[in-house]
Amino acid sequence: MDIDELIELVQLHGKSIYGFCYKLTGTKEETDDLYQETFLKAVELRHKMDGERNPKAFLIAIAVRLHKNHRRKHAWRQRIAPTVVLDEAAANKPASISKEATPEEAVLSLELRTMIQDAAHHLDDKLKLPLYMFYTADMTVEEIASALRIPQGTVKSRLYKARQTMRSILEVDSP
Amino acid sequence: MKDMDFEHLLRKSLASEAEPEDELNQMLIDQIKERRQLKTRYRKRLSVGLLAIVFLLVLSVSAYAAVQHFSAKQVAEHLSDQLLAEAFESKNAVQINQSKTSGDYHFTLHGLVSGAGLSEFKFSSEEIYPDRTYAVVSITRQDGKPMPPTTDPEYGKDSFFISPLIKGQKPWQVNILSMNGGYSETVIDGIMYRLIACDDVEIFADQGVYLAISSGSSFYSNDAFVYDENTGEIQAREDYPGASLLFDLPFDVTKADHEKAEAYLKSLAAPTSAEEDSAEAGEDEWVNWMDNIRAKIRDGETIGETIAESVKEVTYDDSGKNLIYTYGERRATMSFEGMFEDGQIGFTDRGISFSGDGKTYEALIFHRDEHGIVTGRIIILDDQYFPSEAEPAKEKR
Repeated sequence: MDIDELIELVQLHGKSIYGFCYKLTGTKEETDDLYQETFLKAVELRHKMDGERNPKAFLIAIAVRLHKNHRRKHAWRQRIAPTVVLDEAAANKPASISKEATPEEAVLSLELRTMIQDAAHHLDDKLKLPLYMFYTADMTVEEIASALRIPQGTVKSRLYKARQTMRSILEVDSP
Repeated sequence: MKDMDFEHLLRKSLASEAEPEDELNQMLIDQIKERRQLKTRYRKRLSVGLLAIVFLLVLSVSAYAAVQHFSAKQVAEHLSDQLLAEAFESKNAVQINQSKTSGDYHFTLHGLVSGAGLSEFKFSSEEIYPDRTYAVVSITRQDGKPMPPTTDPEYGKDSFFISPLIKGQKPWQVNILSMNGGYSETVIDGIMYRLIACDDVEIFADQGVYLAISSGSSFYSNDAFVYDENTGEIQAREDYPGASLLFDLPFDVTKADHEKAEAYLKSLAAPTSAEEDSAEAGEDEWVNWMDNIRAKIRDGETIGETIAESVKEVTYDDSGKNLIYTYGERRATMSFEGMFEDGQIGFTDRGISFSGDGKTYEALIFHRDEHGIVTGRIIILDDQYFPSEAEPAKEKR
């Protein structure tokens, strides 16, 4: 894949990649950084990318890896000079929800959506990543398996477990 | 709740409405374009690195006069590779001595040989791919001027890409660089000789193997060659301003090994190198370790011995958003928001920080009692909860 094709990907999949990065980081500033780094990493790896073999999944896989790296580095920075903790819980607050909801979306109360987002955000990474990849980035099970380098069966079981966990949280917490 | 409704609810709730701003996208596109230029410069530096190795080899070359082109065997001898010199004389070697002219230069392909253990200089990839292909090419200027000697600052200013390419394989993906290749170079009496080496390409004999040469860069360039996706053929571009040409490598087709070739190509196309995989494994290990500790704390399990004196009530900064924990010389400031769930009492698995020197590891964790009083404490982790040595050791400063 050449540079021009990669630039086309920014236009084509930018929104989707950005939305996924936002779910991972939870803040605009970190999302902007992760989004840019993802594409710049793709520039380095472009010889491994094939325009016809799902470049979006490739980009999401890069974003996941970069995000893991950041968290790891953050954890060790904290060890060396403890500072402000990564505020994961602050992510996914209703700020990410459009104020101009369609009538259909209005059916879902803001409260319920926030509850779901919080529940998803507090899931373990193993369950959270496939969940966001599936529902936020609209990836297929096959694409997720390839991006996370795990078998498709594992993706399915993690998605199932994530759904079950979410459901149990909602059933307990629902008013 | 019905499955369908729940599924719908999840999809609606987890869809992200965050979008990149136009300015951000424009900035990103500009950066991508800049990287294209940066990459070129970086690669040039890389090629200088390669040349440094070449210089080392060149030092051992004696400078006695030669009246005509040297043979592949003699070039190997000059590069102090007696073993390879003998290989070029063996029955497996192919003497070619074909010449072509392109751009400002005249190129001669002298000979090639493939096999395992042929060179005195071992390449790291030989442990995985013991068979390698070696070829010798010489370069002279068309205007009759001598090629600059290796001690001349002009040496290397016009660089060359010389690489086997496989018919049917994208040349930007399968070339000397991806095939664990390298080269040694020397200039004798105004003639430049390059000895190239890479993983064995004789296994592709039935598909067709080219030896591609272009000037202007040490790396493959789509400006110099064109690849026909339908036929798999590669051709030199006539409109390329520098030198650009192809030799057909006359391998013995009976030495082709289709199965081995397929397996080799598959290994080249693997998404990551072994190194990356191990880095990835290290990351996962580290994340797993953290997750494990957090899970233990969530479940109220003991992860080690608490330093009794370290149990201190936290204070808050002026903003009221950050808590401050102080014990001895240790001071930690953390965002309080999200550290505990609403109404949560007990230990939290959030805001944990770790420290360790490879022998002992400590975790700082927080607790909230029924009156809302938050305390921090330091726990000396039990041996069983130590992180694996590999990853933290790497990060230790």
